[in-house]
Amino acid sequence: MARKSSGLWRRNELTAPQKAVMWLFLLFVGITTFLPMWNVIVVSTTTALESTRSGIVLWWRQFSLEGFQYVFSVCKLGRPFFNSFLVTTVGTVIQVFLSSIAGYVLVQRDLPFRGAITSFILLTMMIPGDLTMISIYQLNRDLKLLNTYQGLILNGLISGFSILLMRNYFESISYTLSESARIDGASEMRIFARIYMPVSLPGLATVFFMEYVGKWNGITIPAAILTNENMYTLPLKLKAMILTTSSVSGTAQIPDNAIMAAIVISAAPLLIIYVFAQKFLLAGLNLGATKE
Amino acid sequence: MTPAGKTRRRNRTGKLWRRVKRYRFIYLMTLPVLAYFLVFSYYPMALGIYNSFREVKLLGAASFAGLNNYRTIFSSPVYIQAFVNTVAVGSGKFLLQFIWGLLLAVLLNEVHRKAVRSAFQTVSYVPYLLSWSVVGSIWITLLSPSGLVNGLAQLFQGDSYRKIVFMSERSHARAIMIFTGAWKDSGYTAALFLAAIISINPVLYEAASIDGATRLQQIRHILIPSIRPTVKVVVVLGMMGLLRNFDQIFVMANSSILDKVRNLLYLIYNEGIVQFRIGPASAAACVVLLATMAISFTVRHLIRYDQLS
Repeated sequence: MARKSSGLWRRNELTAPQKAVMWLFLLFVGITTFLPMWNVIVVSTTTALESTRSGIVLWWRQFSLEGFQYVFSVCKLGRPFFNSFLVTTVGTVIQVFLSSIAGYVLVQRDLPFRGAITSFILLTMMIPGDLTMISIYQLNRDLKLLNTYQGLILNGLISGFSILLMRNYFESISYTLSESARIDGASEMRIFARIYMPVSLPGLATVFFMEYVGKWNGITIPAAILTNENMYTLPLKLKAMILTTSSVSGTAQIPDNAIMAAIVISAAPLLIIYVFAQKFLLAGLNLGATKE
Repeated sequence: MTPAGKTRRRNRTGKLWRRVKRYRFIYLMTLPVLAYFLVFSYYPMALGIYNSFREVKLLGAASFAGLNNYRTIFSSPVYIQAFVNTVAVGSGKFLLQFIWGLLLAVLLNEVHRKAVRSAFQTVSYVPYLLSWSVVGSIWITLLSPSGLVNGLAQLFQGDSYRKIVFMSERSHARAIMIFTGAWKDSGYTAALFLAAIISINPVLYEAASIDGATRLQQIRHILIPSIRPTVKVVVVLGMMGLLRNFDQIFVMANSSILDKVRNLLYLIYNEGIVQFRIGPASAAACVVLLATMAISFTVRHLIRYDQLS
């Protein structure tokens, strides 16, 4: 329209050759990102015979769900899936609850020792869990938490970051509001549940989805405290499956379509969250960068 | 002390006590959280430091070892090799991820059709959400003899092509770790950059274009300087993560390429938890912790200095 035809605006565009280079690059990035994932989806829903056909598989010759059947019946993926689902869900729910309580404590302006409590909590963000792995193992051994659900849930249950996030949400709530409620005789629990919680739903959702993804993907803690295969979470199980396949030896024990099916199953909950709770998830993940 | 002073002090402690009492319910609420951090965060940290100075035996009591564990790791070829691998793979991955992410963000900003842009963004962000066990498994399968990569190579090179078993090829090992690492995380880097780019005031571009600047000049002289704070954030994040890349190597390493890619964290895990040589492994963990802190402190300091000038 008028904007496009004026010379002034045309100068705000890249020249045609520059645009060509740009699309070439974007195409390349798009293909290297999308093609592998598409390949996984197609191979996972094809037959074992088809998946051994080497080379470029980007479309179905034969659609089949036998890969998914195989992983559940032969590889026994059901148990790891249940383990992952259980510890992730329970852990995340508890984490959201405790984070919001701790966040609430940190916004009490007149609370004696508030500064000390805040530092005590936020300093833990400086302790990287992966570097204390050996002590974590010893601790869990001494507490008899090795190979237990309690161990999987308890380790990494709360993070300084999620508390910080909740505190920042609560800080936006007028302090005088809760103060006047307190003068009117409302209990702390009531103030917390009736004033703070409802306003902070987006914050709760952010912490929930962010931590859900983090816990679902977590591999350090399971690697440190699990030896019993019955307790394996999905990431560990997937790793064990891939170890026995074609990558090194050249001979596949588990067919490719089953491996790809296990990958799809491991990724599916995250993709569902990404599609339906994108707003909250991205808010949390991008905040993770600004905390530094 | 005068009697007046005494009363004042008593009043003050009395007041503090009253305030503490008023908030007793709040303290009660905090208790589980504080106890959790004490047991699962501070205690392991302290135990790790303590163990690094001790010789822990499988049988019998542990004994004080002074700096022996530190001496062991600094003279151990395995630890030194793990350090070299960590830095080689870590810095390569960071550089590639940075360039890939920046280019992607800058170029996506030039795409005017919103649907196309968000499609690109969505797809490039997905690998970041997936765990290393998923991403590692995807690439191990794609790089296998019957995988997509060999298939594509055969397509371009014809029947004379001999299939490569990529994951057991020592000369490719580091490159594969660098590439897959960047593949996973560059979408996230791009998202950070894009958020900064979108918030640039369009008036700046308009003014420049009135002055006759081409789009490329605008990118060079307006866009890039405007996103410098985000560049710094990405650099600090990258430097802090550089030494701590356990998941990828845990999933993707195998015996034939181990000496090329085994990094410090993976070695610490293997030595400490699998082989049960707790002393040296704890010492190495302490060194990595100190190094991480030193790096992030230095980078932050440099950046702050840069902001002043």
